[in-house]
Amino acid sequence: MAQYIADRRDVDFVLHEQIQVEDLSKTELFADFNKKTVDMIVKEARNLAIKEILPTRELGDQEGCQFDNGKVTVPESFHKAFELLKDGEWVAMTEDPEWGGQGMPTTVALAASDYLVGANYAFMMYAGLTHGAGKLIESFGTQQQKRLFLNKMYSGEWTGTMLLTEPEAGSDVGALTTLAVKNDDGTYSITGNKIFISGGEHDLSENILHPVLARIEGAPEGSKGISLFLVPKIWVDDDGSLGEFNDVVCTGIEEKMGIHGNSTCSLMLGGKGKCRGMLLGEENKGMRAMFLMMNEARLLVGLQGLACASSAYMYAVDYARQRIQGKNLLQMMDKNASSVPIIQHPDVRRQLMMMKVYVEGIRSLLYYVGMCEDQVKICEDAEEKLTYQGIIDVLIPIAKGYVTDRAFEVCSHGVQVYGGYGYIKDYPMEQLLRDCRITMIYEGTNGIQAMDLLGRKLGLNKGKPVMDLLGEIQKSIAMAKDVQGLEDLAAKLEEIVDKLGKVALHMGMTAMSPNVMNAFAFAHPFMEVCGDVVMAWMLLWRAAIASKKLEEGAKKKDAAFYQGQIKSAEFFIYSIIPITVGKIKAILTTNGAAVDIDEKSFGG
Amino acid sequence: MEIVVLLKQVPATESLIEIADDGVSIKSDDIKWVINPYDEFAVEEALRIKEAHEGSVSILSVGSEKTVEAIRTALAMGADKGILVNVPDGDVYDGLTTARILSAVLKETPFDMIIAGQRAVDDDNFQVGPATAEFLNIPHISMVIKQEIANGKIKCHRTVEGGTAILETPLPVLFTTQRGINEPRYASLPGIMKAKKKPIDMKTITDIGLDPATVGKPLTKIVSLKTPPERKGGIMIEGDSAQAKAVKIVKILHEEAKVL
Ligand SMILES: Cc1cc2nc3c(=O)[nH]c(=O)nc-3n(C[C@H](O)[C@H](O)[C@H](O)COP(=O)(O)OP(=O)(O)OC[C@H]3O[C@@H](n4cnc5c(N)ncnc54)[C@H](O)[C@@H]3O)c2cc1C
Repeated sequence: MAQYIADRRDVDFVLHEQIQVEDLSKTELFADFNKKTVDMIVKEARNLAIKEILPTRELGDQEGCQFDNGKVTVPESFHKAFELLKDGEWVAMTEDPEWGGQGMPTTVALAASDYLVGANYAFMMYAGLTHGAGKLIESFGTQQQKRLFLNKMYSGEWTGTMLLTEPEAGSDVGALTTLAVKNDDGTYSITGNKIFISGGEHDLSENILHPVLARIEGAPEGSKGISLFLVPKIWVDDDGSLGEFNDVVCTGIEEKMGIHGNSTCSLMLGGKGKCRGMLLGEENKGMRAMFLMMNEARLLVGLQGLACASSAYMYAVDYARQRIQGKNLLQMMDKNASSVPIIQHPDVRRQLMMMKVYVEGIRSLLYYVGMCEDQVKICEDAEEKLTYQGIIDVLIPIAKGYVTDRAFEVCSHGVQVYGGYGYIKDYPMEQLLRDCRITMIYEGTNGIQAMDLLGRKLGLNKGKPVMDLLGEIQKSIAMAKDVQGLEDLAAKLEEIVDKLGKVALHMGMTAMSPNVMNAFAFAHPFMEVCGDVVMAWMLLWRAAIASKKLEEGAKKKDAAFYQGQIKSAEFFIYSIIPITVGKIKAILTTNGAAVDIDEKSFGG
Repeated sequence: MEIVVLLKQVPATESLIEIADDGVSIKSDDIKWVINPYDEFAVEEALRIKEAHEGSVSILSVGSEKTVEAIRTALAMGADKGILVNVPDGDVYDGLTTARILSAVLKETPFDMIIAGQRAVDDDNFQVGPATAEFLNIPHISMVIKQEIANGKIKCHRTVEGGTAILETPLPVLFTTQRGINEPRYASLPGIMKAKKKPIDMKTITDIGLDPATVGKPLTKIVSLKTPPERKGGIMIEGDSAQAKAVKIVKILHEEAKVL
């Protein structure tokens, strides 16, 4: 096996040649992160990921989490890996150093996470949720709350979660019924039941901090009446010492398809009337607080998708080079011809190409969003900052919804390349496929992502962010047009971008017309079209850089990599974009069959 | 306690090693370089000794510019400073030459203890540590799996065939590390950030008072390099019963392998 998790050359390419992360070090905020430091961070993350975390992936899947009388134990092997993660201070890479974070650019953290999450994302969720919960406290907590919790969370000594979902409140968070009643001392008594809570209970840390969405007694119905609370598993006294158990009881964990190493818990809050929470931010502003955190959380889920897809691709390429089966098609008639590695068969190559283009396109997209996040942090010009924020907002549903849909397909191709062995537990493919599936569901299902793109993002700020994004795509097209050999690819991308502009307008209009239901029946295909175009953009951008490098004369191994970049763009634009054109046709028809059909006609 | 760790950068064990066209060296284009794994034990042990007895840890290496990366990794693990004797990329020294260069630097560097890996995994020579100690005229203990320091003396457990020997010597000392002595730590993120600001002293052969014209003349010469023969597939012995299989094995050992 040549490489695990992610192709190192590809990670370096996106970081240094495409996104040019080193430019960030010219700013005061990120001055410490020059190329050498970035390389060292990524190298050490890879080292830790491959040596210590990757071996826990299969073990964690086999062993799973155990529930016994309110207590949850994680797979044995997770303990040492978690200690190492804490020792290395990898839990809060991008967070404020004042509170124990590492102040790293998001782009660099994504590259490190590419390996760490890629090694075992069910394991890394414990850390990921901790950093997310910490971030909520950093953004909305009082000085005292930050003092009490942040250092402990950013160091990983205490972990965090996110409590939204209830049996009757899944996609519609606004339907939640968990209740908060104000006490005389300013705390709130919390009662309610939360389900599907990742890392809600486990034995990796002494205390768990739960940010909880709940409704204050008498607050308005729906999402307008939701507030955010911080509910520790064990109460933390004002001097930072652990107080009494806070009546957060784990009543069970789910048996599930994948990510067995991550506990998915049902939590009963205040069953004995003794659960207290602290208000985070303002009353009834809970959903707003959540929205602020949502982009990052969704980007992380996109990364989980990439993690599975990238691993699957690395395994599949390796397997296709080793597995001998069948003759080369050109020697079919030759009785004496020997069998060849399956990588020689056109259909296997087609599937490897499929995997390659999505893994590369997705990696570029996610790092690009990361770079926009970093730009928002360092931009001095308010207008420019807004532009970057707008681009992020438009890209997030794609970076979560489109990306995880494709990631799952990539894993499925991986299973296929392995043939029967792909379906067998002795090989890594079936686990990757199972693990990957949940990324399409949690953190807002991909259906919800598509609706977000159509319903909120398209018309955001009168469509300016969408126009800004198209403008960025045009820049890459202009760059590629000047590159010999890429003229036609650039022209094809230009055509499809033009079509995308038209279909976006059509969807915007339809969504505001009496045909609104039809429009939303096409929200998901519309997200696919947007995603396809973004992939083509990323791949053409890569190809343009690669062509230039080849022209300047690249080393042998680099040359193979760069040529592969041009082939990726070629494959995507000639073999997949025509399908996108077809999808656009379907969307423009906006046929109402799915909406008009009588419920009875579904049968069953 | 002033501790110096002798560190070599070697090809990562996962790298595909190919013999270069000259037949006496390896192709280095696609190789990823890492700290020699035994030297990682040495760095870790030095850091533990420093944590217990205070002092500082210096990393000393002979190598080309790219060796800085390995030194920085050791600094990120927690070492304090680095010294690189910078030699042209591609220059290969035999163990004695390397030891001569290292000891020339060490004669000018205060130390209480020198720690090295028992061998480097690229040329497997086992010589540099002991030879350096000889040039410096200090005691050395090799293949150490455990050490205790007290009252200016060090007591080392050293692996010997079938057991361990315990040796004691006054400081200063040079000892070499064997697998099992510790589990090297990973560089932490704050460690990486700090490593950037730690000093690496770059020296040339001339700087350390040696003559570049003569120092590079090795006493040994690599005549040719060969990859080991590829392992052949095994033979499965078929048979209805253990007895039947045993008969077959004996036959094969007798007639084909001719060892019986
Ligand atoms: C392993 C795992 C871990 C999880 N971790 C957490 C966690 O840590 N914290 C947490 O709070 N939650 C967590 N969840 C819950 C998860 O976020 C929800 O399951 C998810 O949001 C969907 O909600 P639901 O299951 O109630 O499905 P539903 O909302 O009932 O959705 C069912 C289907 O209907 C569609 N749908 C629903 N409403 C609409 C609509 N208005 N328009 C169009 N389509 C719609 C959905 O897209 C979906 O296809 C986790 C779930 C799992 C399985």
